[in-house]
Amino acid sequence: MPQFFLNKRLIILLVSIIILVSLIGFSLRERDSVTWPEQFLKDMTGWAQNIVAGPTQYIAGFFENVQDLQNTYEENKELKSRLDKLAFLEAEVQLLEKDNAELREILEKEDSLTDYEPIQATVIGRNPLRWEEKLTLNKGTRDGIEANMAVITANGLIGKVKSAQTFTSTIQLVSSKDPTNRISAVVQNGEKKEETFGLIEGYDEKTKRLLMTKIPYDAKVEKEQMVVTSGYGGVFPKGLPIGKVVEVTPAEYGLTQTAYIEPNADLYDIQHVMVTKLNSINPEIQKELEELNEEEES
Amino acid sequence: MRKYLLPLLFIFLFVIESTFALMVAPTEMFANERWFIPHFLLGAIMLLVIFGSKKLGLLYAFIFGLLFDIVYTEIIGINLFLFPVVTYIVYQLMKILQNNLIVTTIITLFGVALMELGSYGVNFIISITTMGFSDFIFSRFIPTLILNLIFIIIVIFPLKKYFERYVERLSL
Repeated sequence: MPQFFLNKRLIILLVSIIILVSLIGFSLRERDSVTWPEQFLKDMTGWAQNIVAGPTQYIAGFFENVQDLQNTYEENKELKSRLDKLAFLEAEVQLLEKDNAELREILEKEDSLTDYEPIQATVIGRNPLRWEEKLTLNKGTRDGIEANMAVITANGLIGKVKSAQTFTSTIQLVSSKDPTNRISAVVQNGEKKEETFGLIEGYDEKTKRLLMTKIPYDAKVEKEQMVVTSGYGGVFPKGLPIGKVVEVTPAEYGLTQTAYIEPNADLYDIQHVMVTKLNSINPEIQKELEELNEEEES
Repeated sequence: MRKYLLPLLFIFLFVIESTFALMVAPTEMFANERWFIPHFLLGAIMLLVIFGSKKLGLLYAFIFGLLFDIVYTEIIGINLFLFPVVTYIVYQLMKILQNNLIVTTIITLFGVALMELGSYGVNFIISITTMGFSDFIFSRFIPTLILNLIFIIIVIFPLKKYFERYVERLSL
């Protein structure tokens, strides 16, 4: 037995396993922000990633252009058919927007949960191990990005800002398997103008679908209905498209329903994104936050 | 200037991994069903410990393991532990085995395999991934080994020459 304890290598291994476990525990707890040495290292890497990403994007862009040329004819045909409808839609949108503004004025309600300011950013890196889907953006707190902001592409929601440094920020995709990664969402029922609330949590890697849980058992959710963000989380704007319902099943104990959602945005090939900076936050949440602050002060 | 070439090489490999994951892996060509995980940095560190010096190799494994955790995974500990352990095992194996290019390639690939299995195990335990074991083997483990085998075959000869000369110059 004494020989066992005298084995230097074994002791080093045991001590490092203890350190490993405690370090994992330290970083797995919910952190609002990363410590400054981490921020510094991330920014430095971001700077190097920027240098490398530029030329590679250029080369990749060239190959993509060549591929695009091959599809141009067919795309052109399809686009032309859509162009006809666009003019009508535009006119309608303008009318509705004007209506909306007027109605808001009547109600004396200036800010709305749908208003946000998009911050354009480019993806410069991705977690190479890909156990957790994390991307690095080339903009940080200097450009107004903060933790927990929603990140979208032209097609829809892709994730949220996990942590923001001065010059870079890290985003977590909706497909990440993080139990704290939840989004309040709503299923839009076009005809009846009803809304059904639920939570987006979890991702099925095989079928590439998002899971929307906590839908009331009596809610009628059907295929092909659109799912958008509800804006009730307080940090995400309202009405960002997430995806379409593909399948609805009762949840484990039959008290709620679970819907499978096909995401609108491509979660794999992402290059340019927008970070949504909310102009106003939900008044109820703001009130709660203020109360909390007061309690802390007193 | 030459003194800084080695750290620069590793920093370059460190950064290029994330760019690789961004640019090459998610394209339609690979149908998103297979994960090609680059372990270029670890491969080069293992070659450094085989052809260069043990001390230098383990030091780099430790530093870049920590850097990897801080910058990419945000969970400090996994790679900080796995990088040095894998490097050390590879070093011990190479002491027993013959030192020729084919054996080195196989052992380096074995190190990559250890790394993948280790990181799968840890991530499975802390439930960051829910991937089943057979899924992991077919859609992630085998493609990753193929990718890294190609990388090792390409770089093994130039890196061998470079590391050997570097260590020679250090000892002078």
